[in-house]
Formats: sequence, structure tokens, C-alpha cells
Amino acid sequence: MARNRAKMTFLENNTSRKATFRKRKEGLMKKASELSILCGVAVAVIIEGEYSSVPEVFPREDVGSVIDKWDKLSQADKDKKMVNHEKYLKQRIEKAKEKLNKVNKENREMEMKELMFDCLRNKTAPCFLGPNELRDLGVFIDQYIKILSRRIETLTNNQGSSSTSVVPAAAGTTSVAMPTAAMGSSSTGFNNMIEENMNEIPNVKDFDLNRCSEE
Amino acid sequence: MAKMKNESNLQVTFSKRRSGLFKKASELNTLCGADIAVIVFSPGGKVYSFGHPNVEIVLNRFKNINQPFPNPNNNMRLSEVRSHTPIQQMNDFLTQLMNDLEKAKKKNEEIKKKRKNSKRSENWWEDPVEELDLAHAQEFKVELENLKKVVTDEASKFFQGFPHPNFCVGSSSGAPFRDGGYINPNLDQSEQRRMFNVNAYYNPNMYRPNYQLLYGNNSYAGGCVPDQYNLNFMLAFNQYQNQNQNLNPGFKEEGISENERHQDGHSPHF
Repeated sequence: MARNRAKMTFLENNTSRKATFRKRKEGLMKKASELSILCGVAVAVIIEGEYSSVPEVFPREDVGSVIDKWDKLSQADKDKKMVNHEKYLKQRIEKAKEKLNKVNKENREMEMKELMFDCLRNKTAPCFLGPNELRDLGVFIDQYIKILSRRIETLTNNQGSSSTSVVPAAAGTTSVAMPTAAMGSSSTGFNNMIEENMNEIPNVKDFDLNRCSEE
Repeated sequence: MAKMKNESNLQVTFSKRRSGLFKKASELNTLCGADIAVIVFSPGGKVYSFGHPNVEIVLNRFKNINQPFPNPNNNMRLSEVRSHTPIQQMNDFLTQLMNDLEKAKKKNEEIKKKRKNSKRSENWWEDPVEELDLAHAQEFKVELENLKKVVTDEASKFFQGFPHPNFCVGSSSGAPFRDGGYINPNLDQSEQRRMFNVNAYYNPNMYRPNYQLLYGNNSYAGGCVPDQYNLNFMLAFNQYQNQNQNLNPGFKEEGISENERHQDGHSPHF
């Protein structure tokens, strides 16, 4: 089983193709059977191989009853979830693209967060960055500023009326200039991902991370 | 083996296994050239079907199997040239996509792991926003706004077609920079500003230009084209292949991995 991570392409070699056909056909029929039993549903498979003039079918004896059930359907019902090979692959491609873009986006955001912090830590600066990084960094900073604004708003609202802050700053940090001093931090937590903050704020359309679980 | 008892598990199982069954059918055809039809009724009574060349054809052949003139030998179909069919190309594309996806996932894991392992920072502004008090949040915001200004300034150098030593020499033809971001030095000022604020990340794996950009703003020159196959698809696929080979041909800075650059000991004049 481990041997076959081969390319998904037509097998020119007659021997390999014949062997592969036999094994995979058997595997497919088995899967069809399992699906049928586990979920209690009607399943039909018809395979026309090159090695036999008679197609192989599942269920072996009673494929006809599933076909009858199929025939009774309206054309609309049949068509709704019918796919040919091209359409099927197209759907898979779309899903894979979405997934890939989502992961890339998350990766990029994490990178940008680190990059932003590096700028603040004086480990690097915008003048050393290429155009793509600059653009993405800009986007990320904007998003972060938005979150900060919301945080500020929440804090100011929670105090009631006055907008000028009466909230006591963390120990000795009122006039700290960023990013130089590492003042006594009031936090104890690990660095959390910005996404955790984002998910608490329902209005932010910019982030749409990690909503869906893995497929 | 018996029918599953738990209703919701059954639903999930059905969904996954049906999907897997179609995948196996697709692979059987791709690898061995066998025509195939699969019909699956769902627990809810809907019907899913997959077929190559399509369900109806295979079904009809099967129904007519006992007629006086059965179909000629299947071997005739096998003599098709398969390597350049849309299906083969789609399969190749899909394979590449899945590889990229795997790599991206790995990278994702690595980044997360690295963060978890790195020692806790003493910088308060690295803490989650929710833990910042008002004074800190306000100060941080100001700092970020300043940083943003610097970033914008730096970026404007690229957007104006400013002669820059790191520009790709090969773009003397006037072609846009060969990255996924379509940064076009010939845009006017307002366009540049708009592009700069576009909510889209540079994505080395963004398939262009015939596919919709995921992040919403299709402000790039390529625009978006409805999902059609045939020529558009093949073109896009070829472009994708080219893009992957020519990624960032000229940007010296881009050629260095971000990690290298940051830890490089450049003395910042921040």
C-alpha cells in the first residue's frame, strides 16, 4: 500500500495497469459495500474494464433494484448532485484552492505579526523590506490598529462617561516609550495569536480565520 | 458490520465515505481507463452520482448489455491520447495543489510551534490586546500609526517606479513585477494608494489570473474570470507553472528568506 503514491496518471504499462485495476476495483467494491451497510443506503457501482466484455457491478446480484430506484427519479433530482469526471475534479480543485489560500493567509498573518514586532523591537525596519512585505505589513498593522481601537473603546465605555482615562496603568508604565523599555509587564500570558482576539469581535470582516475545522 | 446507530455520526460517515468512494472511482478511471458509474442514495433520500464519461452513458450501456448488438470492445477507448486531456491536466493541477497544501500546513505547524517554544517576551505590547490596559493600548496604537507611516513611505518608493537597485532588470519590458501581487509601477497615485490598502496578502500560491482572488478585492490587473475550463484553464495552468519557476526573479531582498533577513544583524536606523 505504501508503494503506490505514484502519479495520478494513466498507467501505460499493461502489467501494472492490469494489476492496479484488479486491486482497486476490488477495493472500490468493498468501500461501496461498507458505505451501504454502515449508513443503510442504496449504492450502485458499474465498472467497464478492458479485460472483460461484461461490466462488473455492485451489488453483485441486485444492482437492478438500485437502478430501478434511480430510474424513478425525476431528471432534476438526478441532475442535482450528478457529476462527470471533469466537474468532479473541478470541485475538488476549488476546495483545495480555498483551503490552500486559507492556510497561506494564516501563515502570512503570523509572519506579519512577527515582522511587526521585529520592527518594534528594532530588529529590523521597513527600509529593509521588499514591496510585498511592506504591503502585507501595512495591511496587518491596520488590522491591529483596529483591534486596539476597539479595545480602547471598550475600556473607555466601561468607565462610564469620561474619555480621559482614569484606569491605573500597570506598575510604572504610564510614560513608557515604546519600544525601548521592557517595563514591568502586567501580563502573564503567553503570546497568543491575534486570531484569538479577532474571533471575539464579530464585526471584523477582515479576519475570517479558523472558523471552519479541518475537513 | 452493521448500520450505525448514532444519527449524527452516520451523517458524517456518509458524507466522508461517499466522498472517498467518488475519489476512488475517479482514480480508477484515471489510472486504468475504466468507464465507471457510481450511484449513492443519501440517508435523507437525495442522490449523488459520479460517472465517466458520465452516469447516463454508462447506465445505458449497462441496460443494453443484452441487446443484439452490444458495444464494440472497450479497448477502443484506451487508445485515446490521455496525457493532454483536460482531465489529466486537472489531475496534475490537483496533485500540485495538494502538495502545496501539505507544505503550507507544515509551515503552519512550524510557525505555531516556534511561537509556543520561544520564551515569553518582556515587552508588554506583545501581550494579547485583551490584556492591555487603556494607557498601553493608546500608546501602542500611536506607535503603530507611526510605524504605518514609515511603512507607507517606504512602499511608495516601489509604487512610483522609482529607480531602485533591487528592481528586476527583466522588467524593462514594462511587465508587472513577477510576483503574485501585481505591483504595477505605472499606476497613478490614487491607484497606488488604493492598491496599498487592499486587504489582500501576498500569496505565493495564489493562482492567477483566471481564478478569483480569495480575499475579496479583485483590484489586480488580471481581474477574475468565471470558472471555465478548456482554454482558459489550460492557459492558467501553464501560467501557474511558469509563475512557480520564475517567482521573484529579481528582488534581491525578496530572495532572502524573511528569517535570514531579520536576524541578519542589519543595524536598524529606526
